[in-house]
Amino acid sequence: MKLHVVFSLAGAEYALPFDSVLQMETYTGATLVPGAPAFVDGIVTVRGLVVPVLDLRTRFGLPRIELNLDARIIVSQCAGRVVALRVDSAREVLKLDVDKHQPAPSIVSERSSGFVHAVHPLGNRLLLLIDLPKLLGENSHDLQPSHLLEADGSAALLQLPS
Amino acid sequence: MTGPADLKEFVAAYLVEAEEHLTVANTQLLAIESAQRSGDTNPRAVRETFRSLHTIKGLSAMVGIEPVVAIAHRMENFLRDSDRSGGALPQPAIDALLRGVHAIEQRIAALSRGESAAAPSDELLATLDSLGLAAAPVAPTASAVLDLDPTILAKLAPFEVDQLVRGIAAGRRALRAEFSPSPERAAQGLTINSVRERLAEVAELVRVLPRAVPVSPAAPGGLCFVLILLTNSSDEMITEAVGLDGSSSLHCIARDQPEHSAGAELTPINEAGLDGAEDRMIDTHSRRGVVRVDVSRLDDAMEGLSALIVTRFRLARSIASLTERGVNTRELSEIMNDNARQLRDLRAAIVRVRMVPVAELLERIPLLVRGLQRSTNRSVRLELESGSAELDKSVSERLFPVLVHLVRNAVDHAIETPDERRRRNKPEEGLLRITCGARSNTRLELTVSDDGRGIDRAAVAKKAARAVPNDDAALLDLLCIPGLSTREIVTTTSGRGMGMEIVKRTIVDQLGGELEVHTELGQGTTFTLRVPLTISIVDAFSFECGEQRFVVPVAMVDEIVEVDPSALVHVPANDDGSPAVDIISRRGVAVPMIQLAQVFRLKTKRNRAGKAIVVRRAGSPVAFAVDRMLGQQEVVIRPINDFLVRAPGVSGATDLGDGRPTLVLDLVALSASLSAGSQMLARTR
Repeated sequence: MKLHVVFSLAGAEYALPFDSVLQMETYTGATLVPGAPAFVDGIVTVRGLVVPVLDLRTRFGLPRIELNLDARIIVSQCAGRVVALRVDSAREVLKLDVDKHQPAPSIVSERSSGFVHAVHPLGNRLLLLIDLPKLLGENSHDLQPSHLLEADGSAALLQLPS
Repeated sequence: MTGPADLKEFVAAYLVEAEEHLTVANTQLLAIESAQRSGDTNPRAVRETFRSLHTIKGLSAMVGIEPVVAIAHRMENFLRDSDRSGGALPQPAIDALLRGVHAIEQRIAALSRGESAAAPSDELLATLDSLGLAAAPVAPTASAVLDLDPTILAKLAPFEVDQLVRGIAAGRRALRAEFSPSPERAAQGLTINSVRERLAEVAELVRVLPRAVPVSPAAPGGLCFVLILLTNSSDEMITEAVGLDGSSSLHCIARDQPEHSAGAELTPINEAGLDGAEDRMIDTHSRRGVVRVDVSRLDDAMEGLSALIVTRFRLARSIASLTERGVNTRELSEIMNDNARQLRDLRAAIVRVRMVPVAELLERIPLLVRGLQRSTNRSVRLELESGSAELDKSVSERLFPVLVHLVRNAVDHAIETPDERRRRNKPEEGLLRITCGARSNTRLELTVSDDGRGIDRAAVAKKAARAVPNDDAALLDLLCIPGLSTREIVTTTSGRGMGMEIVKRTIVDQLGGELEVHTELGQGTTFTLRVPLTISIVDAFSFECGEQRFVVPVAMVDEIVEVDPSALVHVPANDDGSPAVDIISRRGVAVPMIQLAQVFRLKTKRNRAGKAIVVRRAGSPVAFAVDRMLGQQEVVIRPINDFLVRAPGVSGATDLGDGRPTLVLDLVALSASLSAGSQMLARTR
């Protein structure tokens, strides 16, 4: 059994291993960084660290929504990086039996660009398990934002303030 | 707390101390080498090297790093003999010793990274052993009876048993003392390190072994150090020196017995003092009053100060809003002024603690050059001029790899082979000169010059598929193009391509410094680096642009000017979406002005009015139009590390008291990235 943080995004429920989560916070917006990829909302300060906020909706190709009181950031760490994930809401921490994880159906993993690596049935709910190393680590540290932009056709070169 | 966890703390201290001694060993070995070249000996340096290795061996044994013990022990043995025979070291021996130091360094580095230390190669050990053949250890006397717990005895290396046997034979007593670290003892200044240092004054430490013991009031950490020592001093002197509280922790394990008197023919070892206890006392004494601190602890202090400064901003804001509401805040404002002054003083104090001598930065360069000379078959004379300037440890740490890069390039590629130099009527020995000095209160200037072949502009341009640069600044821009670092260009264009991009990124982007090059074909090249002496907290202007707030360090700003919209000259814009450029006139000089809002694609209400911040890039002024200046204050700069949010012209983030990060701009780098033809900011979405 392993603790997981459960959050929701566009009506679906996702889970992230608890040990990769540093903390969860309400989200009131980030400071824009010129030239950052479109899926980056900007930066926030967490425990004295300046960390980027990844908008998971944009990252997963879902429509953006206005900021509301439910919005949370999940501050996660992976391979030495600390990154905040912006989600629609996050309310639960659950113990999940890792043996009950099932490989994600190919359509799910394709639609999520491979960021969902498994699914977990829980009663009548279905949790999608996020592949955090893939989500954060798929771009090497050496890449500069400009390279990222080229790799991701949808990304804006310079983000307009919303 | 468990035993191993406790030991970890000692390992951290061990790594720091070992590095220090390795530096000494390197420096001294090079001194021995240069003396030996001029047909001299340097007994003092031999002794210093011996001491460093002796200490490294002892420390390593204490924390159980056997591979290092094995190497250091062999080197120590050989150096002891050399010291006794007048301090002469032949060249092959120096080479072997330097290799040994390097091997230890590699292991210390691995341990610092959290990896384990690899066992030394047999070849290295054999090489070191062959040096000491003349001084092969005398086999332990069979009659030696050491009254020791078999588990402890099993951990003693043969040479340590040998050392004990010789000591006993020479009439000294072998003792076993025990020390258990505890918070209370630490509060009294009693740690294994202080115990070790004090013991060294009255006894010869043979071995310090950590042991896990059951947790008890006497050993709250479940950890106990067994110290095996040889001494002529009385038990009282030992217990006093160690600050042990009872005789129970001291055991005699052996003393000279009549039947051992035959062993008197063995040479007594005299290593605790070499020059006697006096010398050692002076050594120890000079260290008192010096505190070695892990940089991360200083960072913690700085972090605490940062939090204080942010709180002050918040206080100042709420006082301002009280004043607005008509409350008399005169006394509060006075208190705030005092508070500001105190914070400035505190900041200055912490910054001073973080400063390290520039000379430390250059300490390792001679060794690097020595190695490069051999591997590249160049002959190089190194001139170092470091002065007495000091700079922040974190700057120093970032600067060092850059320096290594430049030195490596100079020796490897710029300076010609002796043959080629002879053909060109140059002295066979190339000159590499490094100078380092504070240029002002805030900046350090560092130069790396060589008298090598210089950089061929045309060849670099050809490689980069660009026009031939017409000055040094343009050449530098070409050299720093990412990817212009292929092997080919390294060899065909005197090799300045390698790593220059990284050099520029560190100096300009990370440290907010400047980088310049001056080169003359056939004559040589000089790189000039100017970096701030400290980073972290700076005096900054805050301003607003496109409804977003930014700050820019005061040191970077040349001037802030009022923009008169009627006096603007519009430069015809390209259609490629690059930011429009206007010209303003400043004391009769035309200055290009860029709309910051346009560069960052921010919405702005004002058009072309407002203020402009003028900075200098490579001597020429560039103005950035902003909406409104807000004020000037000290800000704490936090680095932006994640590559997703690193942007040209953004050097970090700060908190102005509203709990949100505010971007710290490097307008010099921003103007460089705009005019270097970097397409990044110019492209449209």
